[in-house]
Amino acid sequence: MQTLHVNGYDMAYLDIGRGTPLVCVHGSLCDFRIWSPVLGPLTRKHRVIAVSLRHFFPEHWDGRDGSYSIAQHTADVIDFIEKLNAGPVDLMGHSRGGHVSFRVAQWRPDLLRKLILAEPGGELDPTLDPAAKPGAPSPLAARFAASAEKIAAGDIDGGLAFFMDALEGPGAWKRIPAAPKQLLRDNAMTLIGQVRDNRPPFSRADAEAIANPTLFIGGANTKGMLPQVLHTLAKHVKGSQIAMIPGTTHPMFEQAPQKYCEIVLDFLAG
Amino acid sequence: MQTLHVNGYDMAYLDLGAGPPLVCVHGTLGDFRTWSAVCGPLSSKHRVISVSLRHFFPEHWDGAGDDYRMAQHVADVIAFIARIEPKPIDLMGHSRGGHIAFRVAQQRPEWLRKLVLAEPGGDLDASLDPAPPAPSALGARIMASAEKVKAGDIDGALKNFFDGIEGDGAWARLPAAPKQQLRDNAFTLIGQVGENRRPYAKADAESIRTPTLFIGGAETRGALAAIHRVLAPHVAGSRTAMIAGTGHWMFQQAPQEFCRVVLEFLAAA
Repeated sequence: MQTLHVNGYDMAYLDIGRGTPLVCVHGSLCDFRIWSPVLGPLTRKHRVIAVSLRHFFPEHWDGRDGSYSIAQHTADVIDFIEKLNAGPVDLMGHSRGGHVSFRVAQWRPDLLRKLILAEPGGELDPTLDPAAKPGAPSPLAARFAASAEKIAAGDIDGGLAFFMDALEGPGAWKRIPAAPKQLLRDNAMTLIGQVRDNRPPFSRADAEAIANPTLFIGGANTKGMLPQVLHTLAKHVKGSQIAMIPGTTHPMFEQAPQKYCEIVLDFLAG
Repeated sequence: MQTLHVNGYDMAYLDLGAGPPLVCVHGTLGDFRTWSAVCGPLSSKHRVISVSLRHFFPEHWDGAGDDYRMAQHVADVIAFIARIEPKPIDLMGHSRGGHIAFRVAQQRPEWLRKLVLAEPGGDLDASLDPAPPAPSALGARIMASAEKVKAGDIDGALKNFFDGIEGDGAWARLPAAPKQQLRDNAFTLIGQVGENRRPYAKADAESIRTPTLFIGGAETRGALAAIHRVLAPHVAGSRTAMIAGTGHWMFQQAPQEFCRVVLEFLAAA
């Protein structure tokens, strides 16, 4: 694959099409391949650059050495955009990749043109959610830690099932088709890094600091924290837009690639 | 993307992992992404090179021109492999890509170490199938689908093609993500109508010298289930593996089992 050397790491990426660069950042357990169903429509108008963050496939990571954190991945994406040397880019992130993209926009608005956050992952601090208890572990943290332990012990499918069912409800892992399941397996070891990552929650000041035109995009049927985080952040990101795609959940761009691309291309062209 | 300039065309490819090169050739309506589900396990032992044939995504082709031919794609893959080192390489093809890989093995056996044919597509001539040649049912499907693409009915074209292989209702059941990747290549159906592919002959099969694995889905029906069964007895020393509970896209439906079978075959002395 093509790589750029960022912060001492060869970061792999897929680079397709011509036009304004649109850098795409995948979420937990995913990699550059997750954007496959939207590459066709998006590359008709844009140069689409789908990265794999440090330690995700195509690396076959063992979960031990190296640095895995929101802070590291944010620094890597910043360095990646600088090394790309193509001027301000549009940045799109999904889930944990949305968190990374949010932080890139917070620290380096000068590197970006527009920002797309597809159900960004993360926690809210008390300035955004009065019910939040600072320092309290996320309700899912214990389940994620148990998943990572299973994976570290060699029970990849057991760990992934535990993780997906915690996120999406019982039976979720079983319902995933074989091909997307295998992509998650290819990145299973990253969960070991992820439970060690003590990422700071979003604050109101963080959201108010976002200066780039921002689109929040979500699945209308997603349950739990993710829609709450999306709507809360959107309220405080000045001039931001929201688009919820009917009939979809958290992997909304896999479930409705045509509708997703139509919304994103409209926003980028506007 | 990375590309190699072959026969006047910039051929895109994905290049993952380290080790002995394994070049992968997708089938009808596929592209380099077709192999996504297996490139994890395979790239832990091999350098996996997944090509997009001329006019497939990432090109956005409009169906114009007359260089979508079986012979052109075979010549392109040969010119592509000419640039890959070290030779000999392993070659794997699915469906129409299996046909291409078969023809490459016929023409350049010295460049190939092993050959994996996953339900290769094509027709059988009288030396392999004594029944009088009937017009291919799949060929008629492709023609009808190409007309629909020209008329702007992309999803109708794909449904007609996909249900022809996997059975009625298969397109409706296919998840949205793989559907979109087929849509991205819909215009190649227009080219495929005039691709001019020759049927397999017994002498073709007997001329394959490369150690060969045929791999199929145990649930596949129709011509694609029959062709490899007819070819295999005439390819000296070939092996056949059938994957339970899968159809024509067996490596997407059972990626772990597919990779286990393929890696074992490639590792064997």
